[in-house]
Amino acid sequence: MAKVSRRDFLKYVGAGGAGAGAGILIGESREQPVEYLMPLVEPPPGYIPGVATYYNTLCTQCSAGCGITVRIREGRAKKIEGNPLHPVSQGRTCALGQAGLNALYNPDRIRQPLRRMGDRGSAAYEEVSWDEALAELGERLGGLVAENRGEEIALLTGTVRGHLHDLLERFAGELGSQSYLQYDFTTPENLYAANEICFGTDRLPYYDIHNTDYLLSFGADIAGTWISPVHHSLGLGQMRQGRPGSRGHFVYVEPRMNLTAASADEWIPAAPGIEGLFALALAHVIFDGGQARVSDPYNWSDVLRAYSPGQVAERIGVDAERITTIAAGLASAKAALVVGGGAAASGTNGVANMVAINALNYLLGNLGRRGGLLLNPAPVLPAPEKRHRAGFRRMREFAGQAQAGGVDTLITFNTNPVFNLPPGSGFHEALAGVPFVVSLSSFLDETTAMADLVLPVSTYLEVWGDESPEPGVGVQIASLSQPVVETDFTSARAAGDVVLALAKNIGGGVASAMPFDNFEDFLKAGWQTIYERDHPGATSSDFGAFWKDAARSGVWLRTTDSIESEPVFLAAALEKLRFAEPEFGGDGPYVLQPYLSQGLWDGRGANLPWMQELPDPMTSVVYTTWIELNPATAEDLGLREGDVVRVRSPSGEFEAPVVPFNGIRPDVVGVPIGQGHEHYGRYAQGRGVNPLRIVGEKSDSHSGTHAWGATRVALEKTGRRVHVIKTGGTSRDLGRNILGRKEIQFLGE
Amino acid sequence: MATLLEKIREYRRPGYFERYDYRWTMAIDLDRCTGCEACVVACQAENNLPIVGEKNYAMAREIKWIRIERYWVGEYPNAKLNFLPMLCQHCDQAPCETACPVSATYHNQDGLNTQIYNRCIGTRTCAVYCPYEVRYFNWFSYEWDEPLEQQLNPDVTIREKGVMEKCTFCIQRIRDAKDAAKDDGRRQVRDGEVTPACVQACPTEAMVFGDLYDESSKVYQMYRNPQRGYRVLEELNTSPSIIYLRRANGDDERSDV
Repeated sequence: MAKVSRRDFLKYVGAGGAGAGAGILIGESREQPVEYLMPLVEPPPGYIPGVATYYNTLCTQCSAGCGITVRIREGRAKKIEGNPLHPVSQGRTCALGQAGLNALYNPDRIRQPLRRMGDRGSAAYEEVSWDEALAELGERLGGLVAENRGEEIALLTGTVRGHLHDLLERFAGELGSQSYLQYDFTTPENLYAANEICFGTDRLPYYDIHNTDYLLSFGADIAGTWISPVHHSLGLGQMRQGRPGSRGHFVYVEPRMNLTAASADEWIPAAPGIEGLFALALAHVIFDGGQARVSDPYNWSDVLRAYSPGQVAERIGVDAERITTIAAGLASAKAALVVGGGAAASGTNGVANMVAINALNYLLGNLGRRGGLLLNPAPVLPAPEKRHRAGFRRMREFAGQAQAGGVDTLITFNTNPVFNLPPGSGFHEALAGVPFVVSLSSFLDETTAMADLVLPVSTYLEVWGDESPEPGVGVQIASLSQPVVETDFTSARAAGDVVLALAKNIGGGVASAMPFDNFEDFLKAGWQTIYERDHPGATSSDFGAFWKDAARSGVWLRTTDSIESEPVFLAAALEKLRFAEPEFGGDGPYVLQPYLSQGLWDGRGANLPWMQELPDPMTSVVYTTWIELNPATAEDLGLREGDVVRVRSPSGEFEAPVVPFNGIRPDVVGVPIGQGHEHYGRYAQGRGVNPLRIVGEKSDSHSGTHAWGATRVALEKTGRRVHVIKTGGTSRDLGRNILGRKEIQFLGE
Repeated sequence: MATLLEKIREYRRPGYFERYDYRWTMAIDLDRCTGCEACVVACQAENNLPIVGEKNYAMAREIKWIRIERYWVGEYPNAKLNFLPMLCQHCDQAPCETACPVSATYHNQDGLNTQIYNRCIGTRTCAVYCPYEVRYFNWFSYEWDEPLEQQLNPDVTIREKGVMEKCTFCIQRIRDAKDAAKDDGRRQVRDGEVTPACVQACPTEAMVFGDLYDESSKVYQMYRNPQRGYRVLEELNTSPSIIYLRRANGDDERSDV
């Protein structure tokens, strides 16, 4: 514990007390912070020492959009729990969500606006005041607008939804910028593209895992890191043991076993990149057997002719018999569901694979069916569209534009493309050449370290916000996020407030288009508009009551209608329905499979000490990067655990220790993404390696999404050995009855 | 001393606890558990578990009151990995309790195996006796980098160097629930009013906590699962308070087990 003097203690208590009044329990808007020392004899409203207050808000650690409840004691956030009222999380949380407190109270949070002193990327900064920083940036942006060079301003953010997205879009529009882009490594671009081809929709569907009887997943790590892990985990539990009388069967296909694969009933280590072929072979069997539940004029037999199990089993690396068995299981299940993503969408044929999986769902009659794939209604709140989602292709275009001198000022917010994009994307050089880079960030990550001006923004637990979750849960919902604490160690401001303050500084049309003092007012006005559209003739006191209610529960269920329309499988998709051979960059003997790590995700969790100390679910390694090799491969190469090897691709090389791993194909090398930070604070810096550094710039042939799973690598021994830190214990039960495999008698006692 | 020994002897008599109000029990369904480790972090947040650092981790000095154990069965390509959340089993016949030379660990009247930090002198005998290896020793007084200490839960003591610690079934939450029940004019806590942090977080609802004396409780239903229920290392006669439901396999695939 840090030592605090009595005087400091009183100061903290005073400031904390102001924080305790920040939420909605006491009224509609925040109290002004107390700025003088005062004894607790006269406590802030709603503050009772020793009694916890709970605020419902929204988690943005990943983009699933879970509702959370934060426990507050004496003005400090103590614990994050799932919001039981929220349909996405239903009172549950994941490991990364729990660790949000590490982000809030992170010792490496930026405390003051910073102006660059040294070279770009050296992270040498001097502190400046907010007024100075905002004036400087406002002047620059204002100057560009006045010279009609607004299109040289670019806005690059992470996933932002709801009214903050709306605000940013308006801001970009008023400035005249053509580039407001959202870059998030985890956005399932290929799934979006495939859904557009097959169903003509630009939204993720709802996967009704809860009610399915046969679940087949191609690379979608539903319980770990894939699009909405908490909600899908709830579904998995329900599917398995929540329905008396039936237990769903779960088959998982991926070259590497992750925690979802370990929890499945069958794990099939098929060859990398052939998921589409596998799905088509299943479709062939189902259609041939007359079990397809469709009545359409499409010529399926022509499309599927070339994919009989006998023809393709060898290419897939799975027995023809096993394919037939799985097809029979799918076809005979009362409700079946096929999901695809993750590794299956990380090759050059990602979209083709996802289209094949969609087609399989269609043939099984899973579309719009309970326990199948449901279409989500349109989001209630403003949501980013296709043009905002910057996949790899768009980012390369942007890099090209910047390199040609088309970008004068770049504003980044909560995104780290420097870490997540491969060097071949050209983004790194482009960023270095942009005359002025501004970063709105809570932490000094690799992208922020390239900025000329850094504006510290508050974490998600300190700001107002809202969003409709993506993927939704089949009903129209809007979640509300509210500040649950105020912090006294940083001058960070909410990103929305910074944008509004900037607009004011720029003045003119920009200021008059956004006449709000703070983001809270903007958000409230937005909700009022939606509310009044829904409730014609409502008075403002009606809205006041509604707003209070929404803030209390953290979520607004707009309608309870579950499905707006059934997905229709478009004829045009049939043309795209053929297996595309995956292409790999490089000519090494092994395929490199980088994967999102459970705690660190795509690297965003690396600055959270709880996540650094969280053992990897599969290997129990902590604090570093390791290379997973099949034990047979390791033995062939004469490698033991801890032997450091060099992994080489045409784009580069890195060194990391080997961990023999029973759950990976002999021709695949698994490496977790997340470590290897040059910046990003004391817990992240200088630890492990970033495998994305050596990934080539191959991309999906249809969507242009980065194919981060399409690199071949060679391994070289270095002769060095290190101690790989793992949590102890043997990995076998050694005849002890630890897993309950033997007949147990004691319960009759 | 004589009184103390008498007390120890008394509470180790089978049936002793049945005179009391609660018998807190946890059921963990391994068929639901995915090994996602949400419980591990939830516990760390609730119970002020220290961030020990890389160096201490390398020396196996980590402190995780609940951890996920991994057990492989078979070899590639037929390898299966089984996850097993392991935490203090709150044994009714706990080996650690008899081992402690200063009676710092004892069984309370709710059937919890509890640790009195102030009494502990750090001989680590209990950790040696524990067959589940769920007792953790504070080799140092750990510090939190400022301002991380603002997160610390004021309901839970911060342990110092030389003290053994372990899962408490979130005893602070049990106390809160009892107090709330008393304020409400009830003698008993209702099923579902106490949820330890790990149970609360679990995204697959694999863990259930409750009072085994309450026959309508969810945990009682799970405890009486004749097909899948078992207790880990039960042959040691430790009478654990945690029941595991093993993973379902081919035979019970489609049935209600």
